[in-house]
Amino acid sequence: MQIFKNKYILGLAVAFISLASCKKDVIATYDVNDVDIEDKSLIKDRSKSNKQFISILYTTLHQKAISSNQLIRTERVIESFGDKALINEVIVSNYMNSGNVVMPTNDEMRADLDTFITDTYKLFFVRIPTEIEKAFFVNYIEANPNITPELVYTAFASADEYQFY
Amino acid sequence: MERREFVKKVGLTAAGSAAFPYILPSGRLFAKTNAELADHVIYVLFAGGVRQQESVLQQYLSGSQGVDIGGNIMYNMFNGTAPDKKIVYGTTPANEPTGSLPIPKLLTNTLQSQGLLFPEVEAVNGGHYGGLNSLLTGSRSLAQGLKVRPNSPTIFEYLRRHRGFKASDVWFVGSGIGNSFPLLNSSNHEMYGTEYGANFVAPSITFGNEGLDVLSNAKVYHPDEELEPIQKMREFLNNSFRIKNGEVQGIRNGEDEKENIKKFIREMFTKKQTGGLAGPPAGSGGDLRTLAYAAEVMKYFKPKITVVNLANVDGCHSNFSGYLRALHRADHGVGWLWDYIQKEIPEMAGKTIMLATPECGRNLNPNPIQDENDWYGYDHSGDANTRRVWSLMAGPNVPSNMVVGSESNQIGLTTDNVLTVADIFGIKDAVLNAGFVNPGSKSLFDRI
Repeated sequence: MQIFKNKYILGLAVAFISLASCKKDVIATYDVNDVDIEDKSLIKDRSKSNKQFISILYTTLHQKAISSNQLIRTERVIESFGDKALINEVIVSNYMNSGNVVMPTNDEMRADLDTFITDTYKLFFVRIPTEIEKAFFVNYIEANPNITPELVYTAFASADEYQFY
Repeated sequence: MERREFVKKVGLTAAGSAAFPYILPSGRLFAKTNAELADHVIYVLFAGGVRQQESVLQQYLSGSQGVDIGGNIMYNMFNGTAPDKKIVYGTTPANEPTGSLPIPKLLTNTLQSQGLLFPEVEAVNGGHYGGLNSLLTGSRSLAQGLKVRPNSPTIFEYLRRHRGFKASDVWFVGSGIGNSFPLLNSSNHEMYGTEYGANFVAPSITFGNEGLDVLSNAKVYHPDEELEPIQKMREFLNNSFRIKNGEVQGIRNGEDEKENIKKFIREMFTKKQTGGLAGPPAGSGGDLRTLAYAAEVMKYFKPKITVVNLANVDGCHSNFSGYLRALHRADHGVGWLWDYIQKEIPEMAGKTIMLATPECGRNLNPNPIQDENDWYGYDHSGDANTRRVWSLMAGPNVPSNMVVGSESNQIGLTTDNVLTVADIFGIKDAVLNAGFVNPGSKSLFDRI
């Protein structure tokens, strides 16, 4: 009888512990919203193909789609050269010299640098800049009167991040 | 010494030994092993599939079409008299039969008489891409797929990693962008790879009509007021993105090298528009154009190694007469290139070794396709004749007028060439120690 009682008590204890351990953890927020520490938009680990790169670049700079004939010709030229970064820079520079690139004027850029930098990041990298990035460009452009939107666009179009998505 | 101190010292020594080769500024993994034999190398991949019978054996039509006319149609490279009948291998004067005018001989002394000929060499691979792979990696390339970079390191990577050459010291001038040629400027090997690859250019496209359309109007930025800010902003953006250079497709030149190459590109378009490009006298199309731009690359950069790939002879599949013309033109182009180096590039004259080898041969027996002269074409489907090629070398420290081997005594492998170039630049042991070269391969200097 005594043995039965002990088993009964042991069973109750196990059941109690099991139920107690299934209790959900309470996540304390202390009235502060969750914020991701890591910027997910910075994680771009897939390289654009030559075709993707050139069609996106053309659309970014001209605000219209590239013709299929021009796309194929440009793609073949990229394939014909080993240093892709170098040849992409030459292609960007070629576009800049065409006079058909859609971009703000120097005055428009300098009138509102914050907006220009944010818009440029969105246009090329499809994300908003971090505060550090924004601060760097605002300071750099303010300190260098020679910098034009064309130079900024050229730097963005030839940056590593623009080759990835 | 206490045990703890001993373990610590051993650990530090081992870690240092493992890390040290990777942190050398030159990128060199092993010390240089012997003296250099020349300052520069021009390595001609005499590719497209070349039969022994029409090239080094000088059989013209007798070894292929059942017509008893022999003779040497590659008289800038090999010693021997040209055919005097049924001439179809030359250029075509107005109102004359196709190919009836042989191209005049350019070199007073053939490359054979100036250098070393291995007339019977084993091609380790019977296909274009596999064969070119073997010529550039020194491996058999048996598991090599198309449309992927070579599995084993190329000679470019060995030279850049173990000899410390910069990107613009090593060039690969390709005949086009088909057949995965653009992938041959580096392997995908984890210890080497694009970080040590060569600058590749396919002039027929880069400087052809497509390049003219896409590249020739590029802006020239002021170095201080425009270029420097672009580079600074780009550097900031790249640092923010924190991507390793090697992860971006293709090789990368330093900023100074990049600007120099851009200047070269502009110069090529200017020369093209003003008719100032160098080139062989007999023409400017196909392989001759590739050789002409190889000469321009050498004149401008004075590279340590320039590899140039030819391809036109592959027309032999369906046009035997065209194949003979392509062989003859390629011989003319190679002779011209050698002459151009000696006369027009003083920094390389007398300091350059030229090495030329086909990537594979062609079949002994023809296919059923007949050309305009009713002559049969030849494929390269892997018979014993496909595995027969030659190697020719000339320049400083190369014995002159020497022949090693014969039709009945095959000496050498196509995979020897990587070790030969490594030998010329003093890194043969480093390449051998890396362990990727086809066993049995030797430097051609060691086969003499």
